[in-house]
Amino acid sequence: MTVRAVKKPVLAVAVAAVSAVLALSACTPGGGGGDDGEDAKPEDISTDVASMGDITLDVWDQEVRGGQAKQIEALNAAFEAKYPNVTIKRTSKSFDDLQKTVRLAITNDDPPDVVQVNNGRADMGQFVAAGLLRSLDGYAEVYGWDERFPESVRSTASYSDDGKTFGEGTLYGMAQVGEMVGLWYDKQKLGSLGIEPPQTLEEMESAMKAAKAAGELPVQLGNAEAWPAIHDFGVAMNQYVPRDDTRALGYGRKGASWTSDENVQGADLFKSWVDEGYLTPDFNAVPNDTAWRDFAKGQGVFMIGGTWYQADLEAAMGDDLGFALPPVGPVGEPAVTGGTGLPFAITEASEHADAAAAYLDFLTNADAMKVIQENGGLPVIDGDAASATGVGKEVITAWNKVTEEDALVPYLDWATPDMSDLLGQQLQKLSAGTIDTAAFLDTLEKSYTDFTDQNE
Amino acid sequence: MRTSPLERSVTIVVLAVGSLVALFPIAMIVASAFVSDNPNETGIVWSNLSTAWDEGHFSTYMRSSVVVTLCVVVLATALSCLLGYAFGTMRFRGSSVLFYVLLLGLMIPNEAIVVPLYYQLRELDQINTYQALIFPQVAQSLAFGTFWMRAYFRGTSRELVEAARLDGAGHFRTFWSVLLPMGRPAVVTMVVLFSMWTWNEFLLPLVMIPSNEELRTAPLGLTFFSGQYTGSPSLLAAAALIVALPMLLLFLVAQRHFIRGMTEGAVKG
Amino acid sequence: MTSEETVAVPTGDRVRDTRSGRGARRRPGPPGEPRRVAYLYLLPGFVVLTLFLLAPLVYAAWLSLFAWDGLSPGTWVGLQNYVDVLTDPTLRAPFGHALVLVVFFSFIPVVLGLFAASLLTRSTVRGRGIFQAVVFVPQVIALTVVAVAWKRILAPDGPLNDALRAIGLDGIARGWLGDPSTALVAIGLVGTWLGTGLCTVLFLAGLSRVDRAIYDAARLDGAGFFRETLAVSLPSLRNELAVALTLTMVAALRTFDLVYLMTSGGPGGATAVPAYEVYMKSMRQGDVGTGVTIALLLAAFIMVLTVLVNRIPEREDR
Repeated sequence: MTVRAVKKPVLAVAVAAVSAVLALSACTPGGGGGDDGEDAKPEDISTDVASMGDITLDVWDQEVRGGQAKQIEALNAAFEAKYPNVTIKRTSKSFDDLQKTVRLAITNDDPPDVVQVNNGRADMGQFVAAGLLRSLDGYAEVYGWDERFPESVRSTASYSDDGKTFGEGTLYGMAQVGEMVGLWYDKQKLGSLGIEPPQTLEEMESAMKAAKAAGELPVQLGNAEAWPAIHDFGVAMNQYVPRDDTRALGYGRKGASWTSDENVQGADLFKSWVDEGYLTPDFNAVPNDTAWRDFAKGQGVFMIGGTWYQADLEAAMGDDLGFALPPVGPVGEPAVTGGTGLPFAITEASEHADAAAAYLDFLTNADAMKVIQENGGLPVIDGDAASATGVGKEVITAWNKVTEEDALVPYLDWATPDMSDLLGQQLQKLSAGTIDTAAFLDTLEKSYTDFTDQNE
Repeated sequence: MRTSPLERSVTIVVLAVGSLVALFPIAMIVASAFVSDNPNETGIVWSNLSTAWDEGHFSTYMRSSVVVTLCVVVLATALSCLLGYAFGTMRFRGSSVLFYVLLLGLMIPNEAIVVPLYYQLRELDQINTYQALIFPQVAQSLAFGTFWMRAYFRGTSRELVEAARLDGAGHFRTFWSVLLPMGRPAVVTMVVLFSMWTWNEFLLPLVMIPSNEELRTAPLGLTFFSGQYTGSPSLLAAAALIVALPMLLLFLVAQRHFIRGMTEGAVKG
Repeated sequence: MTSEETVAVPTGDRVRDTRSGRGARRRPGPPGEPRRVAYLYLLPGFVVLTLFLLAPLVYAAWLSLFAWDGLSPGTWVGLQNYVDVLTDPTLRAPFGHALVLVVFFSFIPVVLGLFAASLLTRSTVRGRGIFQAVVFVPQVIALTVVAVAWKRILAPDGPLNDALRAIGLDGIARGWLGDPSTALVAIGLVGTWLGTGLCTVLFLAGLSRVDRAIYDAARLDGAGFFRETLAVSLPSLRNELAVALTLTMVAALRTFDLVYLMTSGGPGGATAVPAYEVYMKSMRQGDVGTGVTIALLLAAFIMVLTVLVNRIPEREDR
C-alpha cells in the first residue's frame, strides 16, 4: 500500500467525523435546555389547582431519613387528597446521591418539576445562571411567602438573575425545615462525667478533656465523604471569626478573606482537636452513616452535626439524646452555622409551574410546619417548643434563640462552585497532617479570590 | 520432568495461598450475605437475599442490565464478525488506514469518550434511554471484537474458501455457512467477554442514566443501595452477591473453554 | 480491568499468526482477493464507530478549547485548558498517582504471575486447571462488588486490621483508606489482586506452548528455578508479556470505578486519578473544558504507552 493511497481515506474519515460532530452539536457548547422565558407575573398565575386537569408532578427530594421521609409522605398524600387531579411522582435519594445526579437530571430534556437544590453556588448558583430554575418572585407575591418567611431565610435561596450575587435578589427556592449545626450529646455519658452542656469554648475543651481522660470518645466523627468535618471545622471557626466576616465568606463576597488572624485561630483550634485525639480515630476512613450510628450506640459523648440527624438519633437514643447550641467563643457573639434545609425549587422547563408552586406553598404553610414538627423535624418557622417532646424541645428552643439573636451564619462551602469539594479535601489533608494551617488557609484563599475576581 | 520435593511443596503452597487470596473477598461477601445483622440471631439466614432484592429494586435493575447486555452482545458480535471477515479475508483500498482507526478504538479509554458523548446525546435528548447505554458500548466492544474475529478468519484455511467458491458459494455464503460455523469457539469466547464487560460497566450508566430508575443497571443500583444501607452489612453483601452472581455463573459454565480461548486469541490479537 | 476493551495488538499487518504456522513471515497485506464488497461488510460497524467513538473524540477536542460549565454558553479559551492542566500541580498530581497505580496494577502482578506460572509449569501438580479458573475470578466480578468487599476488608475494624492485631502488629493497623499515606497503596493492592490472576493465566498458557526439550536442556545444564525462569520462560513469553503489560497498565491508568467507589479521591486528594478528575470536573463541578482536556491527555498518554509496550515482542525478534 502506497502512502498516497493512505492519505485519501484518512482525509475522508476525518471529514466524515468532523461533519458528524457538527451535525450532532452546535458549534459553541451551549446550554442544557434552559430558556430565559418570561417569569410568571402575579396576574397570570393560577392558584386553582383543581381546575388544571390531570397533572403528574415529578418531584425529587432527599428526605430519605426516618422522620423527614414520614413528613413528606404525609404531606404528599394530603396534597393528592386535596387535589385528586394531581399525582405526585416522587423520587427520593440520599443527600450524596442527589448531589451526584441533580446536575445531570436538571439539564436533560425531561427534568423534574420540583427538585430540592443545595443553596450554594455549585448548585443553585450555577443553575440560576444557566436559566434552569424558575423565579419564584411572582408566586411569593401571590401566596404571601414574603410575609411567611423572614428575610434571613429567603436570602439563603436568593440570587441575582445572573447567578453572580448570592444572598439577595430573586427568590428561587422554598425550604421546609430549619437547619443548624450544634452539639448532639449523650445525656447519660455527660451526666456520669458530671458535666453540663458547655456554654463557652473553655467549658467545651475541658469537657472533651474530661471525656478523653475517662476513656470515652469525646467527639464522634465519620469523614470518609469529606463533608462532615466541614461542620466540626465550622464550629471551631465560629469561636473566633466575627459572624459578619463568616457571612461574607459564605456568600462568596469579594474582599472577604480566609487568611485573617481569626481564621488562623479557628483552623488551629480544629487542628488541636484532631491532635489531642478528641475526634474519632481514623475519622477520614469512617463513613458518616457509620459514625452517627456508632454515636447512637454509645460511642462518643458529643457529635457535632446538623439538626438533620434529629429524627434518626432520637429514634435510636430516646431520652438519652441532648442538643445544645455550640459554645460561644472568644469572639464574644454566638454564631451558629445553618440556615434552612435544602430548598424546593421549580425547574424552568416544568410544564406545570403553577401546580408546582401550589405544591411548594402546601409544603411550607402553617399546617405543614405542624406536620414537620410532629414527625421530629425542625420547622423553619412557627416552631412551638411548648408542644414539642423529647429532644425536639431543646432543638426548637435553640432554633428560636438563634433566629432571635440573628446568630445564623451560612455554610462556608456555599461560597464558590468548588468550595465544597476543596474545603472537604483540604480538611482531610489538614487533619492528616499533610499540610499545616497556613498552607490550608492559603489554598482556600487562592481558590476563593480566583473565583471572586472573575465573578465581577 | 522431575522436580525436588521441596519445590513441589512450594508450588502447592503457592497454589493454595493464591487461591485463598483470590477467593477471600468473595467468600467474605457470600458468608456475610447469609448471616443476620442481629448478633442474637445465629445460623444461616436466607431472607437477606430477598430483602435486598426487594428493597434495592433489583428486579428492575436486573431487567435493565439483561436488556442492555443482550442488545450489546448481539449487535457487537454481529458487527465484529462482519468487520473481522472483511479485514481477515479480503483485500481492499484503505484497509490498513481503516484498521488503524480501529486500533484507535482499542486505545482510547472509555473515560475520554463518555463526557463529550453525554453532552452530544443531551443535545439530542437521548439521555436516560437504552440507546445511550447500548450503542456506545457496542462501539467500544467493536474494536476488540474485530481484532478477535480477524485473527480467526485469517487463520482459516484458504483451501476451504477455494473449495466453497468452486461449489458456487458467494462471499456471504462462504462467511455464513462455511467459516462462521467453524469459528464457534472464537465467537463463544468473545460473547462471554462482551457479556462481562457490558454487565460490569459502571461509568457509562452512571453518566447516561442520571434520573430514570427504570433503566439503572445492576452495578449502578448497587452503589445507590450501598448509599442507603451502610448500617446493614449483611444486606449490602446480599445485594453485592446478587449483582455478581450472573457473571460468576456464566464464567463457571464457560470457564474451561473461555480461559483457553482467551489466552490463545489475545496473544494472536 | 473487567471492563477492559484493550488487548495488545502489534501494529497492523505485522501481527504474528501462530495458529497458521506462518507467523514469522511478513505479509504485504491482508490475504484474499481484492474485493470492493468488503466496504459493505465494514459499513454498519464503522457507522457505529464513527457516531459513538470518533465523533465524541473530535467533539472532546473541540470542547477542550472552551471554558464551559455544561449549562450556559461556553467561552473560547484556546489552549488555556492544556496550559492549566500541565502547569497546575493539583491537576498534575492525579497523573503521578496513576503512575503509582501502574506499579501495583501492572508490575507486581506481572512478576507474581511469572513466578506462579513458572512454578506450576515445572512441577506437575494436581488442581492446576481449577487454580487457573480460581485466580481469574477477580476479573469476572463487577468493580462495584469488588469495592464493597475491599472497603470492608480495609475498614478500621475490618479483617485486615483484625489479622494485624492478632499477630501483634497493632501499630500498623489503621483506616487504610482514610490515611493519605496508605490510601493510594491500598487501592493499588486491590489492583494487584485483580491483575495477578490474569497475568498468571496468560503466562501459563504461554509456557504450555514452549517446547519441553528446552527445559530439559536447561535442566541438564544445571539451571535452577530462577535461572530457568529468566533464561527460558521469560524470553518465550514476550508476546504474553506485552499483552499482560498492556492490559494491566491501561487498567491502572484509567482507574475510575475503584477510586469513585472506595475513596472519592480522598483523603485530601491522595487518591485523585485522572479518570476521576475527568468525571468530577465535567459532571459535578461544572468545569467541562478542564475535564475533557484531562481526558484527552490521558488518552494520548495511554496510546503512547500501548504502542511502546507492544514493541517488546518485535524488537527482540531482530
